[in-house]
Amino acid sequence: MNAQNDNADTGSWRKAYTMALSIFAVEVVLLYLFTVRFS
Amino acid sequence: MNRLDYFVLIATILAIPLYGLWRTRGSASLGQYLKGDASIRWATIGLSVLATQAGPITFLSMPGQAYESGIGFIQNYFGQPLALIVVCAVFVPIYQRLKVYTAYQYLGERFDRKTQLLGAFLFLIQRGIAAGITIYAPAIILSALLGWRLNLTIWLAGGLVIIYTVIGGTKIVSITQRYQMIVILVGMAIAFAVAVYRLSPDLSFENTLSVAGKMGKLEAVNFSVDPHKRYTFWSGLIGGFFLALSYFGADQSQVQRYIAGGSLKESRLGLLFNAVVKVPMQFFILLLGAIVFMFYQFEKPPVYFNQPAYQRALENGYAPQLTQLQTQFDDVFAQKRVAIRALSTASSGERDAAMDLVRKLDAEAHVLRDQTKAVLVQAGVDPKSKESDYVFITFILQQMPHGIVGLLIAVILCATMSAMAATLNALGSTTAIDFYRPLIRPNASDHHYVIAAQALTAAWGLIAIGVASFASLVENLIEAGNILGSVFYGSILGLFLTAFFIRRVNGSAVFFAALIAQMLVFVLFATTNIGYLWYNFIGCAAVLILAPILQQTLFRSAEASAGV
Repeated sequence: MNAQNDNADTGSWRKAYTMALSIFAVEVVLLYLFTVRFS
Repeated sequence: MNRLDYFVLIATILAIPLYGLWRTRGSASLGQYLKGDASIRWATIGLSVLATQAGPITFLSMPGQAYESGIGFIQNYFGQPLALIVVCAVFVPIYQRLKVYTAYQYLGERFDRKTQLLGAFLFLIQRGIAAGITIYAPAIILSALLGWRLNLTIWLAGGLVIIYTVIGGTKIVSITQRYQMIVILVGMAIAFAVAVYRLSPDLSFENTLSVAGKMGKLEAVNFSVDPHKRYTFWSGLIGGFFLALSYFGADQSQVQRYIAGGSLKESRLGLLFNAVVKVPMQFFILLLGAIVFMFYQFEKPPVYFNQPAYQRALENGYAPQLTQLQTQFDDVFAQKRVAIRALSTASSGERDAAMDLVRKLDAEAHVLRDQTKAVLVQAGVDPKSKESDYVFITFILQQMPHGIVGLLIAVILCATMSAMAATLNALGSTTAIDFYRPLIRPNASDHHYVIAAQALTAAWGLIAIGVASFASLVENLIEAGNILGSVFYGSILGLFLTAFFIRRVNGSAVFFAALIAQMLVFVLFATTNIGYLWYNFIGCAAVLILAPILQQTLFRSAEASAGV
């Protein structure tokens, strides 16, 4: 049971990290578009 | 500042520590004093981490940095989200599992005592100096502009921080930082809204941004690979990654923030919150600087923002030169204002010529400001301080309504107090746990170590005030903090990454590898002019390369005799 819980926990944290990375990627893209638009 | 401003200022900076003292009343065990208790949730951890990193420099200097050089500084934060994810995945579980009070205890468990002491020592040197800069930097500017006495400002703000940090330990630092950060975010949002409102009605907001962009202020992302260019996507992503990894993973002032609280989950969520909000927050602060720049394209700025220094030069017999420069500056400003208005109504065919004229006049204004600075240096006033540090505070004092001025001065002092509290808390804990307990009193009671940590926190506070009282202003506040960090962080991070990922290296090999790496960074710092963020990478890489080599050569026999 503990191993199963650990695996589920690891999987959900992996999703959280992926989401944080995706948000950061969107932020960089928006900053790049901002640069292109206004520079 | 009027009475309303002083009321808002004093009420804000006193109410938060008083509330914190009430929340943390009663005695605490060593664990509670150094790590808080299980009630600290991710939102408090997240705001506490954000406040510890920000400090007064972010809110005082960064808008001025954007005013002067544009918003490219944002790229320095690009490595941070990646680093925070690595810290969440690798560092936090180890610290939580081992239940350490300081990050350097882990080095002691993984390697040996001398490596623990080396990591702690490098941290203490770097942070001890940084604590002095943290309080001195805003104090010198506020005292110059508001007529406060410098040493009194340093002692009042520093003394208040010492009192509540010594009494309440980690928990009070986390609680006060939460509310201080809320005040800071609200204050900066109001400053942003007022700055936008005060922009000239001659241009739409979009046109204002277009002109700012054409004048070189809005280049947020630059993909240049030139290593001498300070702010690029690559230096921010790679150098910034190593700086942030070292800062969040191995700097006790941050580690203590997120190992506070009950669980791995709360620590990780607090850090992920920072991974997501840091870049947008810094963007808006830098954009505020660019908006202040555009405000001063229509409202005449002082030829030199450090007005107290300018006034001293006038009184010292340099009035003729300065008056002549002021007249020329006024003339260029008037022409530039007309040119920018013309630009906003120019047809697409006329736009390039209109833009060239604006750029030419802006360059002329820059030259006149440089000449003014040269006169000030000649007059023996303000030879070192960076003028841009005075831009935002001048804008606050001259353009914001009463009440808001008091709130924004409180923002700067809240940022100072929150960063200093975290630093003193970490310096006191590290000295108590990594030096005092193992080397001086190994078997004393928990209560004894709480008293020792309190005394050492107070001692570091007095050292920071001493450094601040006798320091002279370094060239730029933002740069000073980051350069100081970058010089030391690489080798500290190398120690930790070797510990995590290179299992066959022992204490002596990594200890000497870190010493050599630190020497290498000192030599590069003294003899080259490469972008400072690269020192994090170089220092860290040197440890990671040298440690296995030393292990396989000089320390091979030690490894064999130890049976590793």
